[in-house]
Amino acid sequence: MKKLIFPLFVIMALAQWIVPGKMILDSERVLRDGDVYKFKTQPVDPSDPFRGKYITLNFEADHFETDTLQKFENGQEVYLKLSIDSLGFAGIAALEAERPENIEGVLITTISNTNPYRLPGRQYVYFEYPFERFYVEESKAAEAERAYWDSNRDSTHTTYALVKIKNGQAVLEDVRIDDKSIVDIVRAINERADKPKN
Amino acid sequence: MSKSILREVEQLVQANVISEEVAESIRLYYGQQETKGGSWLIIVFGILGALLVGLGTILIIAHNWDALPKTVQLIIAFLPLLTTQAIAAYIVLKPLDNIAWKEGSATALIFAVAASISLVSQVYHIHGNLGRFLLVWMVLSLPIIYVLRSSLASLLYLIGITWYACETGYFHYPQIPLAYWGLLALALPHYLHLLKTKPESNFTYFHHWMLAGSLTIALGTFGKDAAEWLMPAYMSLLGAFILIGQFNPFSRTRILANGFLVIGSLGTIGILLSLSFDSYWNYMAHNIVFDALEFYVTIAITCCAGYLLFLLIQKHKPAKLNAKSSVFLIFLIIFFVGMRNAGIAQVLINLLLLVLGVFTIREGAMANHLGRLNYGLMILTALIICRFFDVDLSFVVRGLLFILVGAGFFAANYWMVQKRKRSQ
Repeated sequence: MKKLIFPLFVIMALAQWIVPGKMILDSERVLRDGDVYKFKTQPVDPSDPFRGKYITLNFEADHFETDTLQKFENGQEVYLKLSIDSLGFAGIAALEAERPENIEGVLITTISNTNPYRLPGRQYVYFEYPFERFYVEESKAAEAERAYWDSNRDSTHTTYALVKIKNGQAVLEDVRIDDKSIVDIVRAINERADKPKN
Repeated sequence: MSKSILREVEQLVQANVISEEVAESIRLYYGQQETKGGSWLIIVFGILGALLVGLGTILIIAHNWDALPKTVQLIIAFLPLLTTQAIAAYIVLKPLDNIAWKEGSATALIFAVAASISLVSQVYHIHGNLGRFLLVWMVLSLPIIYVLRSSLASLLYLIGITWYACETGYFHYPQIPLAYWGLLALALPHYLHLLKTKPESNFTYFHHWMLAGSLTIALGTFGKDAAEWLMPAYMSLLGAFILIGQFNPFSRTRILANGFLVIGSLGTIGILLSLSFDSYWNYMAHNIVFDALEFYVTIAITCCAGYLLFLLIQKHKPAKLNAKSSVFLIFLIIFFVGMRNAGIAQVLINLLLLVLGVFTIREGAMANHLGRLNYGLMILTALIICRFFDVDLSFVVRGLLFILVGAGFFAANYWMVQKRKRSQ
């Protein structure tokens, strides 16, 4: 037994590096080679005990209307075929329960619930995007949310999530208000607040 | 060593009550006790220190230092892991047989694993899901129990897999967390080793509680479409706990250290009290399904409990067993009666509680144990309070019942104290 302990330790230590290491490699591969999509959104500000403060992103395109009544389990993995509108924002062109042969332009996500539509044979399928959280420094989370709401009152502003997708996997790169990163907007707000008033 | 004892010993030697040799052995005994106590303090503070450092690291990481470049953030993510792994490697290679170091570094390593995964998901905004995160965290933490032979790692692991079972089985799109049972089985060798080598250690006592608690929480995750089967399943599980609590080495410990017996006994009474109302029986009589996973789970647990009862009866006379040892079997009969007639089942449950209360009082009286005697009286009181709500008795009768039980409490305790005085 004592002879086994050290090899077991080595395997354990390696595994403890491999798991987060693989997360980094997968994310970096998507960021490097993935296609860029912009998803229109509205953020709010909760927090996560392990990972700190984040903005929850509520996407405008959070459901898909099907013309047949298909049985979906809540939490089931599905495949969204993405489309891009005239303004360059992502939308949903189709929803598939099975993995399509051509995975290009497809996002893997999970069902949150299904609602029958008022017309017979139709239903709304709601899903959760795998990038609904944008982590920010804790002191900035509230500022980021305020910046969002200020922009939202003025309907000329547009907020969106910049996402890269490859092989169905997505990585959230940034949240932007009118093409400016929310991190930079908050930084500018903080710098203005820190300047002594003359 | 306490100065007062030292003074007392010297005075006793001067007064020729004890010899110098006896005085020396007393000094030696207290000296050794103090060393033992001291090492325990170091273990406790070592563990507390590691827990606080681990939690502190996670909180600092949670701040999210987004002003730092991504590479620096990722290096920081792996720093706690690297440090704690280095300490663990030193302990394994040396090999260092210091409990405080082993437990402390194991605790810190468990939190370092969580910190590295959390920071990487924070840097890349990976939403993930808590259930999957807990699963990965616990799988990566499992070897720590065996590599560092750490009981605290084992306890944290049991908490972690129970949390995973709750997250997956109760909270987020509930599914049966099958992985929980595999993960639990993988922790058992360490528990069995503890039972064998350190049956009277505090770590072992904590494991009894944690294991019984974890199983009790996790069993409910099987409840889906035929959840009415969970009641007999729970009764059998808690019955099995009561039986386990009467085997060696559990039965040799004090009651509070016997987590299986306490959870089994309190749980059994709690469920019976809740079933002494009619709502469950009225619902169950119309909705029972046999071809369901919950049914097979109930059968499996009942068979295990039945086997334990068989083993225990071979060791001890049935009259010497805890009064609640075979309640799970009696309950099963009542459950089948309840399928045909809800009213009779409800009456039988009330009678069963009454008998259990009386038997527990008798056990307490025979064992000269005030706690058990009062536990029996509490069962009866709880039964009366439950009936207070749904039986249409006049206030006078209810009032008289309470006075009667109150007088019973007083009389039984008075009688027991008098009995003790006489025997002294």
